[in-house]
Amino acid sequence: MPATFIHRSILTVGFLSLFHAAYSAAQHRSYLRLNDLDFTHLPLDIFIQTLISLFIIMYGVLQVAGDFKEIKASADLEDRTWETYRNIPSFYTFSHRGGKCSQLASKSGLEEIE
Amino acid sequence: MSSLKENMEKLKLYREHNIRYSREITQVWNETISSNIDNLGKEKHIILEQVCIAAIDCYQLKIAEKCIHELYKEFPNSSRIRILESMYHEADENFNRALQILNDIVKKDITNSAARKRKIAICKALGRNTEAIKELVEYLKIFMADVEAWQELSELYISEHEYSKAAFCVEELILHNPHNHLLHQRYADIRYSQGGMENIELARTYYNQSYKLNPKNIRALYGSYLTTTALLNSQKVSGKKKDAAVKVVDWCLKEIKKRYSEVKVSEIEESLSALEI
Repeated sequence: MPATFIHRSILTVGFLSLFHAAYSAAQHRSYLRLNDLDFTHLPLDIFIQTLISLFIIMYGVLQVAGDFKEIKASADLEDRTWETYRNIPSFYTFSHRGGKCSQLASKSGLEEIE
Repeated sequence: MSSLKENMEKLKLYREHNIRYSREITQVWNETISSNIDNLGKEKHIILEQVCIAAIDCYQLKIAEKCIHELYKEFPNSSRIRILESMYHEADENFNRALQILNDIVKKDITNSAARKRKIAICKALGRNTEAIKELVEYLKIFMADVEAWQELSELYISEHEYSKAAFCVEELILHNPHNHLLHQRYADIRYSQGGMENIELARTYYNQSYKLNPKNIRALYGSYLTTTALLNSQKVSGKKKDAAVKVVDWCLKEIKKRYSEVKVSEIEESLSALEI
């Protein structure tokens, strides 16, 4: 399944939201420092935003990354046949009937006979 | 333009699956690609190479010449294209010229495996199989991980009826690629052709393994049927083993029949009528 524009934008939104959450966390720390408060925990809204954007990113990546492969190692080979597997391009030889059968050769051959 | 894209997809499929549809490829070239060489984008050079080999295969030397010319324009010193040129001479049965080009390449770059392989292919084309085998063995001493060469060597040995050596090559291939059902099947084929109780026993094991790796492989299924019956008919099998073997034979036959019953009759008739022509 090819990645559509919608999936790409979902992924972008997820990253932006995560970045925003990180920025808010940094802001929160500087707010604590300015007010001489001790850090106990992150505010709940930042925490929730981080989690939600994580899930959005996960969904987006799954859609954008493309199709999954079969987990079985031999799955790719299941539909291959010996005919295509034994065909080795680097050892092709051309001393076969292909030349004689090709149209050009047969045409000129006919002319010679005539 | 859409048909150009379709055709490019088709060529890509042929390339990826190693399908030697040379005539189809040259047809595609004549229909769309020859007039659109500059629109091929990133795949231009690889398609040109593919078409060139296909054209040489069909003895359409004019197309091949054009491809080589196009490629030389961009890579004047490439040995890969020199090899294409030597293949062109090969098809023209000008073997000396082809060998000369290949020797030049090897002299300049002793690690060029493609040129060495072409030299072996020329030996094969000239019908000098024993010489080809000797050269290929020398080649494999240097490039031990070359799967294609091992495969080619096993084919050459089979054509010379040296089954045990061919089997060794396939063993090597299985080591490289243990999940490939075709190799297990091939190994079993060779062992079965060799004959003898021990070899048939081995063949049966490998047919079973091949079938286990890919339950769609009907040749492996039929192979295990054949080998098991062969074992049944031998004198040495004891009572308990015999019962198990009978069960296996029955099961194999049932499975094969089931598979054939799934194929539509019209399809079989079609292929049979094609045979009669």
